[in-house]
Amino acid sequence: MHGAGFTGSGERYLNSLVGAEADEDGTVRVLVSSAEFGQGTNTVLCQIAAEALGLPYESVSIAQPDTTVVPNSGPTVASRTAMIVGKLVQSAAKGIKETLTKTGLLHDDYSPQQFRAGCKEYIATHGALKSYARYKVPPDVFWDDEKYRGEAYAAFAWAVYVAEVTVDLTTYSVTVDDFVALQEVGRVLHPVLAEGQITGGVAQAIGFALYENVVWQDGRMMNNQMTNYIMPASMDLPPIRVFFEENGNVHGAHGAKGIGELPMDGPAPAIVNAVEDATGVRFCSIPLLPEDLFGALRPEFNEQAVPSSVRGIA
Amino acid sequence: MNPSSAESAKRGISFIVNGEAKKVLAHPMERLLDVLRNNLGLTGAKEGCGEGECGSCAVLLDDMLVNSCLIPIAQANGASVVTIEGMSAHSLMKPLQESFFECGSCAVLLDDMLVNSCLIPIAQANGASVVTIEGMSAHSLMKPLQESFLECGGAQCGICTPGMILAAVHLLEKRPDPTLADIREGLAGNLCRCTGYMQIFAAVAKAARRRVAQ
Repeated sequence: MHGAGFTGSGERYLNSLVGAEADEDGTVRVLVSSAEFGQGTNTVLCQIAAEALGLPYESVSIAQPDTTVVPNSGPTVASRTAMIVGKLVQSAAKGIKETLTKTGLLHDDYSPQQFRAGCKEYIATHGALKSYARYKVPPDVFWDDEKYRGEAYAAFAWAVYVAEVTVDLTTYSVTVDDFVALQEVGRVLHPVLAEGQITGGVAQAIGFALYENVVWQDGRMMNNQMTNYIMPASMDLPPIRVFFEENGNVHGAHGAKGIGELPMDGPAPAIVNAVEDATGVRFCSIPLLPEDLFGALRPEFNEQAVPSSVRGIA
Repeated sequence: MNPSSAESAKRGISFIVNGEAKKVLAHPMERLLDVLRNNLGLTGAKEGCGEGECGSCAVLLDDMLVNSCLIPIAQANGASVVTIEGMSAHSLMKPLQESFFECGSCAVLLDDMLVNSCLIPIAQANGASVVTIEGMSAHSLMKPLQESFLECGGAQCGICTPGMILAAVHLLEKRPDPTLADIREGLAGNLCRCTGYMQIFAAVAKAARRRVAQ
């Protein structure tokens, strides 16, 4: 389970603002400060605006997140972008439609051509056609900053992870042979991008569970090279099979919840539990390295087996 | 020892370095490592521990692998020394460089071999053919790969993408109809932190099918 958006009153304090601006050619530009770094934010936010306006995806673009041009829609963190910023994009886009409807330039059932004609006429008469939406705390969500009680998040995404592992009793290494990820993230806005978020997160989490040991000494990371900080490569991962259950979420854009951080939460516990199931030994820390397994499964070799100074620096 | 006696203690040392006859004037106990680096400008051998443990300063001395920090220069008199700089023409260099892949972001094709350009001294590229991602636009595999990467979500942040594309081209030229195991192995030198690889595997498989269908 992972809470989407800022914790507690965080979103209320962020007070995010999102804009949308229509041009006379009937195209709409989304104005947000969210940053695209490969996760698909630009695609998904444009999709949300297009759907809210009943326009083809190609009619919507997104401004570069330069704060001389875009309002402060908050940071690109906390699994909040699709859900919180997306919901505001949906509202801002609807605001453009409402402006055109109220001024009599658009009727309920319109074509992209009619939308374009409406935009052109509005801009010729009134100037820029812009709409802004500011975050409002949902009425059924309240967090008490004094007593630290209430709804910590407006929505929670849920997931079940199943790991099948092999424990090699010669090398004491663990291999994940198969991995199933089932999650409920509200409505899946873009199936390919959503699956990419999950497979990417699960792959990182497998590294987190089994390989990625940060060795600190005197405030410095001692294994800061790819040769001694091991992350999973293409041969190291099982098939990662991704499934979604879609339950709409009233607080998110078109029913979406946050997704980005969710797949980092569950896989490591699933893998450690699978190792416990295989060996009968309970492990409570990660990464679970061959040295740890060896130490737990062959206690007669403890201490002298591996000098503590070299543990984790392969 | 005063400077003049230090000078008078120096001896002429003649040896072969990377196939060329060299003569240096050095104190007999000066380390081979220092002579290589300071007198001859060969900085490929590095001082790591300075006590023969780490191998950073390894060279071949009459075909024996030695740590040059432990070799007094007098011992190299008359010998043949090969440093990393002298290895570029060796038949094992390219296979080794191929297998030393760590992240693969800087991958290029060097005489049709997939190498990490961070590991290639420019001398080794002398006379060779180098193909970078910029040179791939006209390649028949580019369109199927680009379309498949787009459709399957094979690219997220984009750091690994040029290297992944080159690795995929290199693989598909050798194996036009790869199995999943072939694809995993073909991309084994290229790290990706975003996708979890699954969508890249799917993209490469789809590009292969697409090219077969063309």
